[in-house]
Amino acid sequence: QVSELVQFLLVKDQKKIPIKRADMLKNIIREYRDAYSEIVKRADRTLQAVFGLQLVEIDTKRHIYILINNLPRPEGQHLCRDKEKEKMGLLLVILSFIFMKGNSVKDSALWEFLHLLRVYPGKQHSVFGDVRKLVTEEFVRQKYLETTAIPLTDPPEFKYQWGPRAEKETSKKDVLNFVAKMQSKDPTFWASQYSEAEANK
Amino acid sequence: MSHTGNSGESSPASRRRRRSRPPHAQEDRAEEDTAEEETAEEAAGERLRQLDIGDGDDREHNRMIRSQYRELISTVQQNREAMLNSKSNRLTEALEEANRLFDGVCRAREAALDAQFLVIASNIGKEKANELHSEMSAFDSTAFAEDLLTFMGINRTEVEETDDSEDVPGAFLPSDAWRTMGEEASKYFRRAPTFHYMMGSFKSEPPAPKQRIERQKKAGRGKAEQAMPAQLKKMEESHQEATEKEVERILRILQTHFENDPNTPISFFDFVMDPNSFARTVENVFHVSFLIRDGLAKIKLDEDELPIIEPIKPSEGGEEDSRAGVRNQVVISLDQREWKEIIETFQIREAMITPLYENTEEEMETE
Repeated sequence: QVSELVQFLLVKDQKKIPIKRADMLKNIIREYRDAYSEIVKRADRTLQAVFGLQLVEIDTKRHIYILINNLPRPEGQHLCRDKEKEKMGLLLVILSFIFMKGNSVKDSALWEFLHLLRVYPGKQHSVFGDVRKLVTEEFVRQKYLETTAIPLTDPPEFKYQWGPRAEKETSKKDVLNFVAKMQSKDPTFWASQYSEAEANK
Repeated sequence: MSHTGNSGESSPASRRRRRSRPPHAQEDRAEEDTAEEETAEEAAGERLRQLDIGDGDDREHNRMIRSQYRELISTVQQNREAMLNSKSNRLTEALEEANRLFDGVCRAREAALDAQFLVIASNIGKEKANELHSEMSAFDSTAFAEDLLTFMGINRTEVEETDDSEDVPGAFLPSDAWRTMGEEASKYFRRAPTFHYMMGSFKSEPPAPKQRIERQKKAGRGKAEQAMPAQLKKMEESHQEATEKEVERILRILQTHFENDPNTPISFFDFVMDPNSFARTVENVFHVSFLIRDGLAKIKLDEDELPIIEPIKPSEGGEEDSRAGVRNQVVISLDQREWKEIIETFQIREAMITPLYENTEEEMETE
């Protein structure tokens, strides 16, 4: 049962959409419901020992899980496809912007910023295609970003924050280091962001 | 009193009639009732007048107030961005305007609009407060964007600075820009690599039927193969050995010519050229190259720098010539025009290497 669950999790993770406990129970565990937590624990152990991955619960109320990488980050080339890499590039840029601007930005502000990088919500992008869909749907579904409606706005406006997957897969400190590297400055240059990043470890 | 006991009429109807005519009813009652009720009635009338309910121009007044409120609300919504600007006082001004309008409000309907405005205004106020509250150190997003573009390898050299426009402004962003960014980005994420089967998916169903099919095919093929080899042997023999035979034959021709006249080396072109067939000429060159390779003949350049060919006597051979002799690799190219030129130049009338097949000569004569 454990190995079936491990395979199930690995395949489910392909789209990076978080895995629900209900799905796990329905498809794999089925009649062994009582042993659920034990099976999950062993699966996690296998994932860690064999694949260097970790099963993390990002929503304790609704029991939703994601897989993250447990291994220390290697310096060399990553065996990712280009499409994935490019999306991660865009995502990192967005997450940096959100953090540096106080952990929450309005959608208009975000698009204004992306405008500077030649990324437009209304225009098909040569690399990303429908960018609006990528940001507002895909990244949100994958739990990299979280979007909330700002009440009583007409036309409705949204704000963006880091999603739970982003919180687990990276950190404010890493992101601040990225920004510092890009701008050739020391991370302590931005005092309040720096202290928040340090506190957040 | 006069209204009671009308059993003929339905009571709700009469009640409705009574309600729709309050002034008259009141007046009626005022006439009939006591003085106490009169004063009460007067007080009520006074209050009604204070509330300004009435006809004609008051309705106009209310309409005006409603439209002013709506205008104010729309202005505020449209200029939300401008109002959020911390240097702007426009929110305060709008609030003062609303205050002023409220003085003229006397009914719930206009008051509702006022409440709506208040909600919107307070939302803006909250946002403004948030922006002030932001404890983050100043972050220049424009500079950040510029740095990102630099990292992605933007080429700014041929640019005249244009401002943000929907169309691609001057500077050239390479196509692998985002890949570069992504390469850097992957260092900051602990992302589980997506799981893909290396060899493709493995279907567990078909094996049983497939085996049966394979066995059948093998049986069939076995027979066919048995028939084939017999033929093949013959063909292959002719193919491989034909070359060897030909090479040997050519060697013999070369040796024969050389025996006849041992001191005159044979011009390479004279030897290989077949004036009747370009194809055969090429074949001859091909076969001669085997001779050279095997050390059975050699090609030298004479005084005129023209290639000459001569066989190597087996006695001479051995260590001296085959190894010590400088072995060079030469590539000879020959196209039809050159072939014709050579034939002309050297006046080659007949092939030294007699062709094996006579039939083709008839074909060639059609040239």
